[in-house]
Amino acid sequence: MSLLAVDQLDVTYLTRKRPPVQAVRGVSLTIGPGEFVGLVGESGSGKSTLGNATIRLLSRPGEITGGTVSFNGQDITALGEDRLRPMRWRDISTVFQSSMNSLNPVMPIEAQFRDAIQAHSRASNGQVRKRVAELLTMVDIDPSFMRFYPHELSGGMKQRVALALALALEPKFVLLDEPTTGLDVVVQRAILERLRVIQREQEFAVLLISHDLGSVLEFSDRVLVMYAGEIVEEQAAADMLRHPRHPYSRGLLGSYASPTAKTIAITYIPGRPPDLSKPHQGCLFAPRCVDAIPLCRMKAPELLPLGDGLVACHVAKMRAEAGQLPEQQGRSWRTQAAGAVFTKHTVAKDPTGAEDILRFEGVSKLYTRRRGFKTTLVQAVDDVSFVLSKGHVTALVGQSGSGKSTIAKLVTGIERPDSGEISFGDLRVDRLGRRGLRDFRKHIQMVFQDPYSALNPAHTVLSTLMRPLINHKGMSRGQAQSRALELLETVGLTPPERFGQRHPHQLSGGQRQRIVIARALAPEPAIIIADEPISSLDVSIRAEILELLDGLVREQGIAMLYITHDLLSARLLADDIIVLNEGKVVEAGRAEDVIANPQHAYTQLLLRSIPNPFVEETAAD
Amino acid sequence: MSMLQQGETPTVSDALPLDEEGAVEQQTRANRRFRVPGWLGILWENRKSRVGLVMLAIFLIVAVFAPLFSPHDPRSNDFAPNLDPGSGHLLGTTTKGEDIFSQLVYGARTSLIVGVVGGLLATAIALVIGLTAGYLGGTVNEVLTFFINLALVVPILPLIALLSAYAPGQGLWVVILIIGLTGWASGARLKKAQILTLRSRDYITAAVFAGEGLWQVIFREIMPNMISLVVVGFMGSAMGAIGAEAGLAFLGFGNPETISWGTMSYWANNQGALVTGQWAWLLAPGLALSFLIMALTLVNFGVDALGNPQLREE
Repeated sequence: MSLLAVDQLDVTYLTRKRPPVQAVRGVSLTIGPGEFVGLVGESGSGKSTLGNATIRLLSRPGEITGGTVSFNGQDITALGEDRLRPMRWRDISTVFQSSMNSLNPVMPIEAQFRDAIQAHSRASNGQVRKRVAELLTMVDIDPSFMRFYPHELSGGMKQRVALALALALEPKFVLLDEPTTGLDVVVQRAILERLRVIQREQEFAVLLISHDLGSVLEFSDRVLVMYAGEIVEEQAAADMLRHPRHPYSRGLLGSYASPTAKTIAITYIPGRPPDLSKPHQGCLFAPRCVDAIPLCRMKAPELLPLGDGLVACHVAKMRAEAGQLPEQQGRSWRTQAAGAVFTKHTVAKDPTGAEDILRFEGVSKLYTRRRGFKTTLVQAVDDVSFVLSKGHVTALVGQSGSGKSTIAKLVTGIERPDSGEISFGDLRVDRLGRRGLRDFRKHIQMVFQDPYSALNPAHTVLSTLMRPLINHKGMSRGQAQSRALELLETVGLTPPERFGQRHPHQLSGGQRQRIVIARALAPEPAIIIADEPISSLDVSIRAEILELLDGLVREQGIAMLYITHDLLSARLLADDIIVLNEGKVVEAGRAEDVIANPQHAYTQLLLRSIPNPFVEETAAD
Repeated sequence: MSMLQQGETPTVSDALPLDEEGAVEQQTRANRRFRVPGWLGILWENRKSRVGLVMLAIFLIVAVFAPLFSPHDPRSNDFAPNLDPGSGHLLGTTTKGEDIFSQLVYGARTSLIVGVVGGLLATAIALVIGLTAGYLGGTVNEVLTFFINLALVVPILPLIALLSAYAPGQGLWVVILIIGLTGWASGARLKKAQILTLRSRDYITAAVFAGEGLWQVIFREIMPNMISLVVVGFMGSAMGAIGAEAGLAFLGFGNPETISWGTMSYWANNQGALVTGQWAWLLAPGLALSFLIMALTLVNFGVDALGNPQLREE
């Protein structure tokens, strides 16, 4: 018997002023005891809504408007809060992306466990302490940390504590909604690997929700792919990897590649998910699908058994009936990708030919932190040197705390180095005063990590883009406006008049990031610092932004410093890679060489942490 | 398998779903609707705020066109004293023989002027001090915070009473000035707290990189995001100013020549209106004052949507 069974579930968001949004439509799924199931989709696909609905955590205005959810044979669709409460945490628990922030800042870790454990059992304090030690050890945290307060732990550790808390009462089912998103690749991998081991030992069932199909495939037994509120494909993870049948799954898988290959092609799915408050006809994916046939636009495909899984796609079904098994196509589906392709060849460029723009020579920066009577010194940057040159991308790769952001601050002149020189032509950036700094910013611009906080919600796109033009270029309002429209066109937002009038909240994450890039281009800078520009975007659109950046840098001869923790994207975009660990350069060189032949153990660790579902396949080749 | 657009970059809008057009159309329609009254339309959306706006409009009209609404000159004491409400005088007459209703109508003028000017003054001071302290931080913040805290702990009404007693001149404007200069502290503190959360956003850094100067960053980038807080602060200061003026007048520190709801209550109390059964004389100014403050409170409910374009659509 299945542990969790969802049958024909509908979830609708009913708001007062807008038409109702059917976020989840007719979804059925089952999860057996001890099974590890992945649920994948872009943002806005309804995956979190579905997850919350299965554990009755929907908050208004979301409501279950049809279908049933049963847990352990009991229908919990309409069960009252009073009867749900004893089940929560003991039978069903959950970890969210923001769970690390749900730890109470004024209570030590142990007290938070005690609250949870004693609410559901009569354990004594001594027993609780023993159990907490056990749980913390389980998630690879030293038991002595139980005396600590949440702010004394790093983000990754807090998320581990949240996971241990969720598992404290040995639940039968755990919902994990993007549990590692926002953490470092290395930490992400470590947490998921640990989770998988614990899950095998304790045999609880997991529903892992993520936009990152790569990691879901690596860790799950079975994968569900969700698009626009419906399940479009369901397969065992191994089958999905070998022959994804739905074009959407193929599109999602196209975002992964082995960074060591000579030529890397990753794909993205252009366009956006449909507006679910509007009536629709046919397959909802059809407008973005490269395989769509006329039938797709007329009739919605049903989720039907195909092979060992379930697929909702007319084309996949017809192919299967015609005997065209994906197995026979071999690995060709990966080159015949669903969507647009961003290809990066290994071209032998002459790095000496390019003009040097910025020199960073022997720079060190020491921070002093005082806490109580103790003073600690943190060597944020330790004797780092590099050169940014025209039309070249230099990637700075490392985990959080490796000194990447400090280097960005030093390059832009926000911080001054303790020793070393930073020179932009004849200009010494490390000696600039207030006035000089302001002038210097004509030449150096930034692309930020989070497009949601990088645009002022109060201004329209056009007025945001006009400011740098008026300030740095001395343009009149009229000139600035027409130049801003050109910039919108440059970053692929057409027609520009339409996008110009919008406010940021009317744009998707990818579109916002394009605006952020357009703003950075506005003063025609010599240098652009891109600080993790794709890490908060959906995996499916990352390649799109990388491609845009790549084209702009080459065409306009900009020197770019690309800051990231992700070696794959560094490989795709950069000419040179600098690997940074604890403020020191551990490895530097041409991108292909660093990736193909990593010398330092830390580079190898970073390389191993890239979610790459094809890793075994590549090894077998 | 069809290979569409292989190798070429489809722009985002190419692939946008068709319904995108509809969204844009909706947006322009919304713009059109908001353009005529601007912020007023946004406030009008909210039911409570609509009631408040109507009440406020009534007070405004009465104040502006006071000569049209009042049957007599409020200062004329040609009538029989101590008349009961109704007897040719809607709310009766005072012990000096003045028409109470006419005084009430002209009192609305005083209260609104005090509210608007006093509120504006207090808000302006709060804004400059709060925003500067919050955005610049460091020593500037320490010094300004010291003054904010100082102004917060000083009991305001006795201070105002003291100041107005010693102030050169006794006019209404002196009272307004004193109220404005003493009522900014809590507003400054609130604004400082808000700016501390706003200034770490990436778009502020982006604005600095876009070449914006200090005041441009504060007033162009940060201010619009706290406009609701500013408006709420203004309403609060206006209410405080109206109340303070009335309180001062009631205690006898105001200019007895001024006709305001406060001086009306002062005289009513002073002349033993309750003893002589002149309930309307005592009650009317108090009620008018409560209704004006209530109107401002109700308008406040709609203010949140002003600073948040997203809220307007939900």
